Amino acid sequence: MLTPLFERIGTHVLRIFDQAGDFAVISGRAIAAVPRRPFDPQNLAKQFLAVGVNSIPVVLLTSLAVSMVFAVQLAYGFKQFQAEGLAAQVNGLAIVRELAPVITGLMMAGRVGSAMAAELGTMQVTEQIDALECLATDPVHYLFVPRLLASALMLPLLTAFSIWIGYWGGYFLLVGVEGQSATIYASDFYKLLATRDLGIALTKGFVFGVIIALVGCWRGYRTRGGAEGVGNAPTSSVVTSSLWILISDFFLTKLLLV
Amino acid sequence: MNDTAPVIDVVNLSKAFGPKVVLSNVNLQVREGESLVVLGGSGTGKTVLLRNIMGLLEPDSGHVAIEGKIVHQLDREGLFEVRKAIGMCFQMAALFDSMTVFENVAFALRRHTGMTEAEIVDRVDECLSMVGMKGTQALKPAELSGGMKRRVGFARAIALKPRILLFDEPTTGLDPVMTDVIGRIILDLKHELGVTSITITHDLKSAFEIADRIALIFRGECIACEPPDAFKQNPNPVVQQFLRGDADGPFLQDPPPPKRALARVVHNPLQLL
Ligand SMILES: Nc1ncnc2c1ncn2[C@@H]1O[C@H](COP(=O)(O)OP(=O)(O)O)[C@@H](O)[C@H]1O
Ligand SMILES: [Mg+2]
Repeated sequence: MLTPLFERIGTHVLRIFDQAGDFAVISGRAIAAVPRRPFDPQNLAKQFLAVGVNSIPVVLLTSLAVSMVFAVQLAYGFKQFQAEGLAAQVNGLAIVRELAPVITGLMMAGRVGSAMAAELGTMQVTEQIDALECLATDPVHYLFVPRLLASALMLPLLTAFSIWIGYWGGYFLLVGVEGQSATIYASDFYKLLATRDLGIALTKGFVFGVIIALVGCWRGYRTRGGAEGVGNAPTSSVVTSSLWILISDFFLTKLLLV
Repeated sequence: MNDTAPVIDVVNLSKAFGPKVVLSNVNLQVREGESLVVLGGSGTGKTVLLRNIMGLLEPDSGHVAIEGKIVHQLDREGLFEVRKAIGMCFQMAALFDSMTVFENVAFALRRHTGMTEAEIVDRVDECLSMVGMKGTQALKPAELSGGMKRRVGFARAIALKPRILLFDEPTTGLDPVMTDVIGRIILDLKHELGVTSITITHDLKSAFEIADRIALIFRGECIACEPPDAFKQNPNPVVQQFLRGDADGPFLQDPPPPKRALARVVHNPLQLL
């Protein structure tokens, strides 16, 4: 009676291992291809623009919204203990260590990771990736490397930008709305932080950037089944990379803080 | 026909996807400068044959040798060297749609030759003229019709001056006039470049014009491979039905049941679950 159930579970487990193995192999090939020639500055510039510059508005709006909402809750929460002065400190801690990198990572998974999956997926089902192979060009080198570099280098920068926006979001709420002192906010924001916290934030951004590019490109590269496959690739890449961003965030926090 | 070693040597090639056998024991030899036309119904594995020749798929058994090198045994570098000598024209052209026509044709020149930009511009112009697409450099693939895309695809394939050209259904889905235009371009390329070629087509008229030999693939096997005149006289009812373009006959009938259905090879254990 139970055999079909076990078979179903078995199929899923096997498929997960199969895909994980394939992802590891392709990722390894992509990372190994980074220093390989020929370099492609034109493509790289295009990806820097797509991943970095064009993402500024999204990061700006989400960081502003999240930091302000968070400041509202902190102000309310600490008011219950007559400890409003702590709001700015905790706000700074949360933004730098967690909110800025994770929000940026999740937004970029949705914005650039899915675009990579859709673009490579379309190229796969229209045989453009085969055409690359036939023109003696390794698609993993040609397509993955510029996206990986752009994502890995731009995510830390966008995270830093998000921290800066978060600072001003909290400022607007705590100083502008709650009427706290501007000078105290400026020093309190950093009170619980050390320089290495910025390093942690940027490291997280880097790791998330690598995850986003590799998952997005891999999912697109492995697209099968015409238009439906191309439709599934971005969704699945966003879910997968968001999951890995959250999981790796936990471990990075644990590892880097001790 | 001379006695030199074949440029393209397909030996006992078999390929299945899971339980579905696509090619079984296909043997084809193409000699230098020869033009082989491969006929066959839709979904009989003609594209799979070309993909095996290009090393995009690995055969289950048998092998393909290009100029004496066994394709699936080469490492990446070796495979790329072989591919530089082959121009592949895809069924739907497979142009890079983020690039212009010029960038498409120049792609391999930029990556694999030390040509200067001026030399590349000249070579792209030359290739586009050869396929009657002069002056379209600045267009994007989305602005081209199906026949124009195929021709740009040809130009991209000949840019590196390959010794071998592979055409995958270059005329399917085109109007009769464009079909003839493409047929003539292939003939011109054959005469001007003296390449060895394999052309897959459904268009019998251009097939007989282009071919030095014609092969017919039926149920995964190559059931005929001979010069056009002999092909026309081939007594095999499948060949005759294909030539007549008739719906009645063995061509569309269900294949006989597999002899050893239980002993079929399972390539992917997941299929059993
Ligand atoms: N990558 C693949 N995976 C599974 N099946 C495939 C694959 N490529 C081709 N096939 C199957 O092989 C058969 C032959 O395909 P193809 O060579 O494209 O036919 P055609 O002769 O029309 O070019 C088709 O039935 C197709 O479903
Ligand atoms: Mg085909």
